[in-house]
Amino acid sequence: MSKKILIVDDEPHIRMLIEQTLEDLEDDGVVLLFAENGEQALSIIEKEKPSLVFLDVMMPKLNGMEVCYKVKKELKLTDIYIILLTAKGQEVDRQKGLDMGADRYMTKPFDPDEMLSIAEEIIKL
Amino acid sequence: MSENGISLWIRALKYVLQRDKDSISLLKQTASFLNIELLVLDHDSKVLWGDAEKEYSYSVDLVCDRLRLGVVKCSNASGSFLVDLIKTLLTKEFEKKRIGKEVLSLYREINMIYGLSEMISEKIDTASIAEIALQESSQIIGSTHGLFLMYDPDEDEVTKLASFGDNPNSERNIKDQNEVLKSLILKGNAAIVPENRIKDNLSIQHLKAVMYAPLKVKHRTLGMVILGHKEKKEFTAAELKLLTTIALQTAAAIESAHLYQKGLKEARDREEAIRVIHEVTQKFVPSEFIKSLGKAKITEISLGDLTEREVTVVFADIREFTTISEGLSPKDNFLFVNGFNNRMGPIVRKNEGFIMQYLGDGFMALFPKGPQSALNASVEMHKVLHEYNKERVLKKRLPVKIGVGMQNGNLIMGITGDSNRLDAAIISDTVNTAARIEGLSKHYGTSILLTKECKDKLTNQQAFNFRFLGPVQVKGKQKSIDLYECINGDDDSLFDHKLQTMSTFNDAMSYYFNKEFAMAAVAFQEIFKLNTMDQTSKLFLNKSAHLITQEIEDNWKGIELMNTK
Repeated sequence: MSKKILIVDDEPHIRMLIEQTLEDLEDDGVVLLFAENGEQALSIIEKEKPSLVFLDVMMPKLNGMEVCYKVKKELKLTDIYIILLTAKGQEVDRQKGLDMGADRYMTKPFDPDEMLSIAEEIIKL
Repeated sequence: MSENGISLWIRALKYVLQRDKDSISLLKQTASFLNIELLVLDHDSKVLWGDAEKEYSYSVDLVCDRLRLGVVKCSNASGSFLVDLIKTLLTKEFEKKRIGKEVLSLYREINMIYGLSEMISEKIDTASIAEIALQESSQIIGSTHGLFLMYDPDEDEVTKLASFGDNPNSERNIKDQNEVLKSLILKGNAAIVPENRIKDNLSIQHLKAVMYAPLKVKHRTLGMVILGHKEKKEFTAAELKLLTTIALQTAAAIESAHLYQKGLKEARDREEAIRVIHEVTQKFVPSEFIKSLGKAKITEISLGDLTEREVTVVFADIREFTTISEGLSPKDNFLFVNGFNNRMGPIVRKNEGFIMQYLGDGFMALFPKGPQSALNASVEMHKVLHEYNKERVLKKRLPVKIGVGMQNGNLIMGITGDSNRLDAAIISDTVNTAARIEGLSKHYGTSILLTKECKDKLTNQQAFNFRFLGPVQVKGKQKSIDLYECINGDDDSLFDHKLQTMSTFNDAMSYYFNKEFAMAAVAFQEIFKLNTMDQTSKLFLNKSAHLITQEIEDNWKGIELMNTK
């Protein structure tokens, strides 16, 4: 079964940027999935069981922290690697995010090269 | 169209035919509706859609943007409609990907500039900022050479702050081209240097492409950043814009670094000024005094601060100062006193004491460590003066002699005065007593006088020789004080004399206090005849001789009254 990466952000241009960044992985058969809010993300996660989720923290409806908590603590989908995306200057949330079960943190503006290499590394696992 | 363009088209084609569910479904439905079998091969004849085993009558190249991306084969000619549909879907996807690529590349730039400003904002030295700026520029703008130049208006000179890439004549070129570089910097423009201009310029001939951007801060230009490439390449307008942005960020950081350094220097100058003031005030109020009050600096003291502690108080006074000063002008008098103080001060400090007050023809010193150090200092002061006097005598000047008196006891050190005028003060009976004892040394003709209390508290009594001079009483006080003369401060001949006659002197004193004045007088006479400089013996000789003729009361104890200070 092909590996899946879910990209969750309410801003379309960020989704596009991450898509462009991770485009090369598609050649290796990785499927990129997208969600524009927390609720959508949650239903895709339950249905598709992606290996990796890039999850924006600041989102309407269900925010990234809540999604993270539901996935890791309530649904116990601990195999899904979650990377929280947060704006620079909001690093104070870091510990909270990790407490919610996030595996890693990335700050925006993210470094595309760094993002790709992290994704490659995790997908291989 | 570059390689990159082809790969983007191929990528879009694969996406439309293999991954995009909507496109796939539309194509499938249309083909089935038209009843057409469809085969799409990429430019390497790899199957992207359909079954290669089947027969196809119609074949057409898939060309987009004049690029042959592959072949579309159909089972009949109406397949050309499908080709148009694929092209439409493909073009749309390509556009999306192209914009995405552009956005990503812009995003990379933003990210780089973000990172750059974060990195340089941490630096306070301009050279590091320049290094980082060049390093980051070369990472995002393909370049083999870089040069970071600063213009110093004071020196009217352009100098290198950082560089990369091999340029053996860099220093010389900058020197030769200084006027050109200066005018470029002062113009403050960014530009890509045309190819013919590069060829004509000896200092950049080793490069194929050159561009530069000014380091601008408000209306000034601090310098410029130059990037170059040794291979044939054209810097683009976008790259120049990026370099300009980097240069702007860097210029702001360099300006702040300058301001920081300036602020740092000012702060250092202020600190130095304060240190000097502190050093000078410390000379007016001894730092030991301030430390005794439990304060680190003079700025910490305030009116009313006080402390009580046991110290040895020493008064030293120049003998016959009036005689010496008579022959001197007021200025020479001042120089003489300064010369004297200059010799004595270090001895006091060496023995862990400090001078509390200068008294014109003498001084008061305090020794917190007690009488041993006070007495060591007193003996040494005399010895230094003996040496000094040898010089003075050669110069036909009067020798300088001092009398020293000391007492040990508790005293209160404190800050007195009013809110506008403060002074370090000590209040104690010990000070009065020490001053009076020093006064007595004149009377007894001794060089060092100390109380029994001082003598008993010496940690090494054996180091000194003493003569007991009897009890004295301060006017207004009930208790008398036993007084001793320390002879170690006397010149060698007097010291030898006193040492040799010590037992006779002690006997004489015993006679004296036993009221056997005739015996005492004989003994003192004997001592005095041996050395007429022994003023103490002379004094007791006279006293004894006088008392022989006097009616002596039963309770006479030979107590000397101290009236004068």
